[in-house]
This record gives sequence, structure tokens and C-alpha cells, in this order.
Amino acid sequence: MKAGKFWAWLTFGLGAAYFIIPLLATMEFAMRMRRGTYSFDAFAVVFGDPRFQQTFGYSVVAAFFTILLGVLIVVPTAYWIRLRMPHIRPVIEFITLLPLVIPAIVIVFGYIRMYGSNSPLPFLGSARGTDALLVIGYAILALPYMYRAVDTGLRTIDVRTLTEAAQILGAGWGTIIMRLILPNVLIAVLSGAFLTFAIVIGEFTVASLLNRPAFGPYLQNIGANRAYEPAALAVITFVVTWGCMSVIQMLARFAPKSANRPD
Amino acid sequence: MTETYLSIQGVKKSFGPTTVVRDFSLDVGRGEFISFLGPSGCGKTTMLRMVAGFEEPSEGRIVVGGKDVTHLKPNQRKIGMVFQAYALFPNLTVAQNIAFGLRVAGMPKAESAQRVQDMLKLISLPQLGDRYPYQLSGGQQQRVALARALAPKPRLLLLDEPLSALDAKVRVSLREEIRSIQKELGITTIFVTHDQEEALSISDRIVVMNNGRADQAGTPFEIYNRPSTRFVANFVGTLNVLEARVLDAQAGSVDVAGQVLALDRDLAPKRKGDMISLALRPEAVSLGRAGARTGALAATIADVHFLGSVIRVRTKIGDSTVSLDTFNDPTMPPPVSGTPAELAFAPRDLMVLAD
Repeated sequence: MKAGKFWAWLTFGLGAAYFIIPLLATMEFAMRMRRGTYSFDAFAVVFGDPRFQQTFGYSVVAAFFTILLGVLIVVPTAYWIRLRMPHIRPVIEFITLLPLVIPAIVIVFGYIRMYGSNSPLPFLGSARGTDALLVIGYAILALPYMYRAVDTGLRTIDVRTLTEAAQILGAGWGTIIMRLILPNVLIAVLSGAFLTFAIVIGEFTVASLLNRPAFGPYLQNIGANRAYEPAALAVITFVVTWGCMSVIQMLARFAPKSANRPD
Repeated sequence: MTETYLSIQGVKKSFGPTTVVRDFSLDVGRGEFISFLGPSGCGKTTMLRMVAGFEEPSEGRIVVGGKDVTHLKPNQRKIGMVFQAYALFPNLTVAQNIAFGLRVAGMPKAESAQRVQDMLKLISLPQLGDRYPYQLSGGQQQRVALARALAPKPRLLLLDEPLSALDAKVRVSLREEIRSIQKELGITTIFVTHDQEEALSISDRIVVMNNGRADQAGTPFEIYNRPSTRFVANFVGTLNVLEARVLDAQAGSVDVAGQVLALDRDLAPKRKGDMISLALRPEAVSLGRAGARTGALAATIADVHFLGSVIRVRTKIGDSTVSLDTFNDPTMPPPVSGTPAELAFAPRDLMVLAD
């Protein structure tokens, strides 16, 4: 083996160990619930807990609506900016980065001031209204990832010429976005969608302060009161996230090929 | 020209303080193949984009088939367009690309499928309907783009430098194919190019554009042989330009670097002492006095380039350079640099250039 290859493999091995050893340790700890032997008891307890099913189900539904909202906002915005207003792209990029520097708690306090029970828009006065605010809050938190994913996808196609080619063939904006732009950035949208899903599943601050029965607060609650179950939950969360990433990879194989992205 | 089908009337286009097309007027007959020829930035693509509807004229109007389309959106104009960058939809197969305009127009599936087959036959790619654009060569992609533009039976076909991205061999074959398809369908076509050979070889008429204006519109023969401005003369083909002083305008007598030359025309309104520019195509000049070539100027041979069948000779007359090509005659030695020579030409081949 050449010296260069040896160091490359060594670096890779060290990096992999840095990620995998804590996971293995967590897994090992989660399996020690039954004394003296390894078992999946902690996983069984977690999966059997009705609150796990409720909170996970709630967060999955919230993630679905968050993704939908994100796609509806980000795809036309990123498309329009690339097509007609490229000069304001730096401004939009800055705005989409704000959720990374402004803590989620600020959003919640903003909500309470703007949409409290005594305000003209009392969204927080009802469970559905609060759910809507939660989804909007999640969409904001996921904005940096969704926008970048879609914008990168749009960069791989000649948005302007394709739009003009469709227009001259008689297509309106709806047809252009649905039949042309969206299918060509589908992989990028899916990447953004799964990142959004991962964020929503683990999000604690907004859900907790708005007092919604989401998976994040449940994770925190279990972590504070149990020993083995939090480790099992951590492993489950990792599996869900990796599952999402695998789905992205699989869908990428079935995506339509383009001149910019051949085999 | 047959009846006017496309009429561009006094069109001007400005982007902020910059005017890119000014006072552009042109009538195009039904079935005519017109080329907009000019250097980069001359406004030819902007003019084409105004016909397509992607840009709105600042002044003037555009009429297609008797209908004013100046303010219509591109998707309401029923115009076909082929782009330089192919612009095939990467997520659709060749057949789906060609069917796109038909589906948008609401054509039933069976009818649309038949039309797609006809189009694939027209571009000689009947077996490639299921391929994706990335599986095709550049030439094939551009033929599919042509079929896609023609499928909805547009009223006008616009070609925006469709051959620029292709290699030389494909470019020649595809331009001939485009011309033959255009003739077969009889569709009125505007072709934008900066390549004079392309424009000369396939156009019914050429509009030479310079700095936002149409400098000259005419058949390829007229454009090449009777350029109306110095720009057209310089841009189309190779040209030798000689500066001359008028000695007698009425008699057509001029002084070229101290040599008197008699032109066969009246130079009015120029007057004695005025400077004029005379132009000669290289193929109109020969070395030595011969036949009907009664015009003659003494020159000095500056460079000789042996190119096999042809010998390219550059000569100096005062400060001016005159290039000419002579056929290689194995029995004659090539001219020698620095030796005197006589340049012969027919006075009628001398063009007086307007500025």
C-alpha cells in the first residue's frame, strides 16, 4: 500500500471511529436494561409507550405540512429570483440565514406578542391556530436548508432559457413551474424536505414553549426521567435520520436525468 | 418578395440610458428566410427577442400576419423558436419535448403522438423518441429543438444562433437541413447569426446590423457585391480599402497614393479635394494587366504566403495594403517580396464606400 493511501485510510478510520464508537456505546447501553444480558427491552418500552406513538405521529404530520409550506414558499421564490431578480439574491440569502443566528425562542416570544389570546389575531387561543404557528415556525427554522437545496438545484439548469422555451411553446406560469421547474429540481426539493423532516422530528424549543405534543419535548422528558430509554430513543432517531438520507439516495437514482446531471 | 407577413415598424429598444436597437424597420414576405447578421452587441438578438415577445419595444410596432403583436405575451404569439443552448427540457424524453407545445395547446393524445412521429421523421430521427436529451449529441439535440418549435405549426420560426454551439462539420450539414425543412414547410423564418458564411449560404435576404441599426438589407449577392456602407463592406467578406483624393468628381478621376485612377462613374456630390474610400474584393484583383481589367495601380509586394493550391499575396500601395489570392501555377515561380508589381482590376469592381 502506498504511503498516501495508508494515511488516507487512517484518517478515514479515525473519523469513522469518532462517529461510530459513541453510537455503538449508546446502542450497547440501551441493550443493558435487563440485568446480566443484552436485550431490546428499552426499545420495546419506547415503542410500547403510547406517548411515543402520539408524539412521533404528531411530529410526522407537522413535518409533512412544514415541507409542503416550505416547498410552496421556497420553490417559486428561488425560481423567480433566479429568473427576474438575480440582483436581490444576496439579500434573500441573508434573510434565509437569519434562522441560524436568531434563536428559536425569539420566534416563540414574537408569536406570543403578535398572536396571543388578546391580540387581533389570536392564533394561540386555539389548538389548531397554535399548530399552524408551529408549522410556520418550523418552516422558518428549515428555511436555510430548504432554500439552499432548491437554489443549488436551480443552478444545475438554465432556468431562463428553459422558461423562455416553454413560454414560446404556449405554456403559462403554472405549467412552467409544475411540469418543468419542479421536476428538474425534484431531488433538491427532496433533499430539503428530508432535512426539514429531520429538523422537525428533533425540534424542542418551539414545540415546548407552544406546549404542543411533539416528539422533541417527549425526547427531552424521557431523557430527564429514565436511564435506558433515552439511549434507545437516540438510536431510533439516528435510524430515522439515516433512513431519510437513504431515501434521498434512492430517489436520486430514479430521478429524471438531465444534460447537466447524466449518469 | 411575396406579400408582407411580418412587419417591423420603427422599432426602438432601450435598457435604461442604453439604446440597443434604433429605428429598425423591415418587411418580411411569407415563406421568406431572413438572416440578421452582425457582430456581438449589434442588437440582432434583442430584435429577435422583441419579435418573440421576450422584450417589449420602447417604440414602434411588430405585426405578424396582419395582427399587431407588439404587446402580446410570448405564449400568445404562436411563434416557434430555437435557442443557441438547445433548451430541451431535461426531464422529458425527445417525444415528450416535441409534444410539449401540442399538449399545452390541448391537442388530443393520439393526434399529438402522430404529429410527434411526423416531426421525428422530418428531422430524420424517427427511432430516438424515447431518448432523453442528455443521450443525444449536440446536433441531434438541436434538430429535436427544431422539431419541437415546428410541431405546433407556428406562424413564424425564430432561430437564435442555433448552430453556434456545434462543431464545424455538423454546423454545415445542419444549416442545409434547416434550410431544406424551411423550404419544405414554407415557414417564414428569421435566423440570427454572426457568421457571414452561414448567412450568405442559406438566406433569401440578409439584414446586416450595426450598432442597433439595420445598415443594409438585401439578397446575399447584393450584400456581398454592393455593400452600401463601409461597415457592411468590412463585415461581409474580406475587403481591401484604399483611401483616395477626388481630382475630378464628374469624370470620376481620383488620386490613390500619387497615382491617377479613372473610375467609371460620377462621384458627385463629392468635390475636388474630398477624400473617399474605395474598396476592392481580393478576388477582383490580379497581378499584372489582363483582359478587361483596365484599372491598374503600381504596388510593391510585401508578403507572399504559399498555401498549396493558392498563393496569398499582400501588396503595399502607399500606406494601404491590398491582399489578393492567385492560383498556384507550377510553371511560374511565386512572386518575390519587395519586388514591384502591377495590380489589375476592372474599375466597376471598385466600390465607393459610404460611411
